[in-house]
Amino acid sequence: MFVNLSKLNLREECPLSDKGAPKLCLKALPGEGAERSCAFDGARVVLMPITDAAHVVHGPIACAGNSWDNRGARSSGAQLYRRGLTTDLMEMDVVYGGEKKLIQAIVEVAAKHRPKAVFVYATCLSALIGDDLEFACRQAQAQVPVPVIPVNAPGFLGDKNIGNRVSGEVLFQQVIGTAEPEGSHPFAINFIGEYNIAGDLWGVLPSLEAIGVKLQSCISGDARFDDLRTAHRAKLNILVCSKSLTNLVKQMEKKYGIPYIEGSFYGIHDTSKTLRAIAEAFGDADLIARTEDHIRQKEAETRALIAPYRQGLEGKRAVLFTGGVKTWSMVTTLKELGIEVLAGGTQNSTPEDFLRMKALMDPEAHIIEDTSAAGFLTLIKEKAPDLIVAGGKTKYLAHKTRTPFLDINHGRNLPYAGYNGMITFAKAVARTVFSPVWEKMQKPFPAGGDVP
Amino acid sequence: MSENTCAYRQSKEEVAEWLNSPEYREMNFNRKALSINPSKACQPLGALLCALGIEGCLPFVHGSQGCAAYFRNTLNRHLREPVPTVSDSMTEDSAVFGGQANLIEGLKNAYQVYKPQMIAVFTSCMAEVIGDDLNAFIANARNAGSVPRDFPIAFAQTPSFVGSHITGWDNMFKALLQSLADPRHGRWTNGRLYVVPGFDAYPGNLREYKRLVSAMGIPMTMLPDATEAMDSPHTGEYRIYPGGTPMAELADALNASGFIFMQRYSTVGSYKFVKNVQKINTEVVTMPIGINNTDKFLMALQEMTGKPIPAELEKERGRAVDSAIDAHPYIHGKRFALFGDPDLLLGLTGFLLEMGGIPAHIVCTNGTEQFRKDIQAVLDASPFGKDCGVHVGRDLWHMRSLLMTEPVDMLIGDSHGKFNAKDANIPLVRIGFPIMDRVNLHRSPIVGYQGAINLVTMIANTFIDQVDCTCPDRLFELMR
Repeated sequence: MFVNLSKLNLREECPLSDKGAPKLCLKALPGEGAERSCAFDGARVVLMPITDAAHVVHGPIACAGNSWDNRGARSSGAQLYRRGLTTDLMEMDVVYGGEKKLIQAIVEVAAKHRPKAVFVYATCLSALIGDDLEFACRQAQAQVPVPVIPVNAPGFLGDKNIGNRVSGEVLFQQVIGTAEPEGSHPFAINFIGEYNIAGDLWGVLPSLEAIGVKLQSCISGDARFDDLRTAHRAKLNILVCSKSLTNLVKQMEKKYGIPYIEGSFYGIHDTSKTLRAIAEAFGDADLIARTEDHIRQKEAETRALIAPYRQGLEGKRAVLFTGGVKTWSMVTTLKELGIEVLAGGTQNSTPEDFLRMKALMDPEAHIIEDTSAAGFLTLIKEKAPDLIVAGGKTKYLAHKTRTPFLDINHGRNLPYAGYNGMITFAKAVARTVFSPVWEKMQKPFPAGGDVP
Repeated sequence: MSENTCAYRQSKEEVAEWLNSPEYREMNFNRKALSINPSKACQPLGALLCALGIEGCLPFVHGSQGCAAYFRNTLNRHLREPVPTVSDSMTEDSAVFGGQANLIEGLKNAYQVYKPQMIAVFTSCMAEVIGDDLNAFIANARNAGSVPRDFPIAFAQTPSFVGSHITGWDNMFKALLQSLADPRHGRWTNGRLYVVPGFDAYPGNLREYKRLVSAMGIPMTMLPDATEAMDSPHTGEYRIYPGGTPMAELADALNASGFIFMQRYSTVGSYKFVKNVQKINTEVVTMPIGINNTDKFLMALQEMTGKPIPAELEKERGRAVDSAIDAHPYIHGKRFALFGDPDLLLGLTGFLLEMGGIPAHIVCTNGTEQFRKDIQAVLDASPFGKDCGVHVGRDLWHMRSLLMTEPVDMLIGDSHGKFNAKDANIPLVRIGFPIMDRVNLHRSPIVGYQGAINLVTMIANTFIDQVDCTCPDRLFELMR
């Protein structure tokens, strides 16, 4: 069930290559569960937060009917991205093909909803019936004044990460570099793989402002299409969720010479580290000094504010079960609250994520290999953690086993990024772990009528 | 193109205003190819909910894996419960070579890992398009030793591009009877009434049906019975299979003394199968929402079984009537817009009319022409229903245009309606599926007399709340 971290040589088993899906994202076994979503979903994760674009799903009701506005990526402006747009393919479309319907749908949406661009998503169904997405988009393009962009990541391509990669490819090929920004900023950066879940991005912006760094574009949280087009003029890329947009930063480095660093804004340690790395990447003495000042001030402030929570949480033990950047960044974040991570696992991380996680965790800690519900239950039973930090699909399993649970994925309503996010996180963890519902109510009904 | 180009030139404010105009409404209703903010889910989601109602049953999606993850997510969010499901994760290879290998391996893994008593297999659109033959594949899986030869498996074809979640519920239900119910033993019956809820994601409703039928003294089986799977008590242990209709009672279903279907549109095929093919004494009622519809349900039970309606239920009815009288000033004359599944809308419309509410717009994305006729008949029976527009096959973006051009006082529907309600600045009372942004609503029944009291309470108090939150000081009152 578990692989002891110290025995797992990830470098040997999972060569870190540029091409293809990360090897560690093993293919889901038939019949083992339904934990992983698909390439289509992965594509939506990356592109949907482009707020002023229309996102048209070319498929049956399943794909958009279940997924419109389901990720909690917030917008400070346009709300267009939240609309559920689909061709809702029905039997006749399957028989006669859906291309015409798609072209008409693109024209309808472009005409009436004033998008900055139209992203068109293939699905298993439209791909299998042989609809030519590129062709339909070209046809529609001739009739509408905004870019029409096909996203060919039908679900059967595989796991979510593949969809992420396809989206990175789409952005690189068709969006980035198609417009020039007005003026330039000496310290302009892009965030790659920050989706502004629950407003995470907004927790980081005050720090950027304080040190004098400009966010040229965020790919793709709270993104405006026109900002993405100018992303190639940034001086530095910050890969926030390394999950599968690594391909994008690498290509941007090759083509535009934009160096990239990886970073995370979860927790005090990683926030400071990333800010410092940004400043150092620019190598500007003033910027570095400003950043150090800011870090000193914010760290002291934040540590003071979370101290009361840490006091209670010290020594608690958690299981971490998430994806991408959070696999390793959350280890440090939980440590800052005095919480030890007993076991960690992920379904969607890259080998790099795993290596980092491995380096941070106790060598005796476990990597969860069996990602099925059955495997997860065994883990809870064996480890009896004080807290599970994971995503929505695990939430109710945890609740049923009376284990305090904190949603870290897109199901949450609270932003955890940046220094302020750390305070929010500390409060949320404390509220979760110390809720009286775990204690009092789990005692059996007093049979003798003898209420303690 | 001229009008399109014109739309491009408008400023953001102008566009917002234009979206609310009668001209836009007309264009919106001429929309042909695009569905915006749809209010339906697909067949396999319905099949999954149906399969959850059999004890020890593991729902199994034959198709690509993302679908199963989406269904689970949607049901998780509405029920706030774990939802066991597996998928056989078909990928590109399966698209080329067919999904048999996945099904064979998937059944084997699922059987070993989750130890179900039975498996309900249903398809997503991928398997349907490539034309996988479930019957043959399952036989081959048994031969290959994936599961024991006599292990019960029900299977249904549930293409996502036909119908909606209610069609999928119906198909899975019929498949359960066809695959796993023993043939009928002549005229002998087991003396039990089989109560079929249809696609209903309210465990509170299912409990209410059981309570009402039991109060009538009728021996019954609810089939399928997802009450526990949707709302299991907390014991500290997670049980993958928390309950449901026992396999033996499913096997004995065709010997029932009768079947009563609580919904029409989510049981169309199953109803025909039970009544016309199996020749079982069968009734279908309008979902018993409101007092009249509940009366009709109880009278149907009385007629089918000869059992009288007990005094206890008459008292309950009296309390429901009393609550309706107490609340009538808050609801009478108010205009409502409603959307959701056809059976729900049919019941709710009857309820609103008996309270003196005015249904103004009814949007049913997955409705049929028959539904249009049926709901029109309900509307025609009351003076309060004379001006209502019924919009079949329309989506929530059509609803938005309706709300903007012909305003109402309240929107009733699931959580997806919250965007419309916000834009139209009216309250949304959450009824239907899915409800992802409120807790526990699915636990309270909206059917039966108790359900009528619950609905009256929700609707009237929402109006009262609205007055309290928005009225000027001079009209602020302790009493309402």
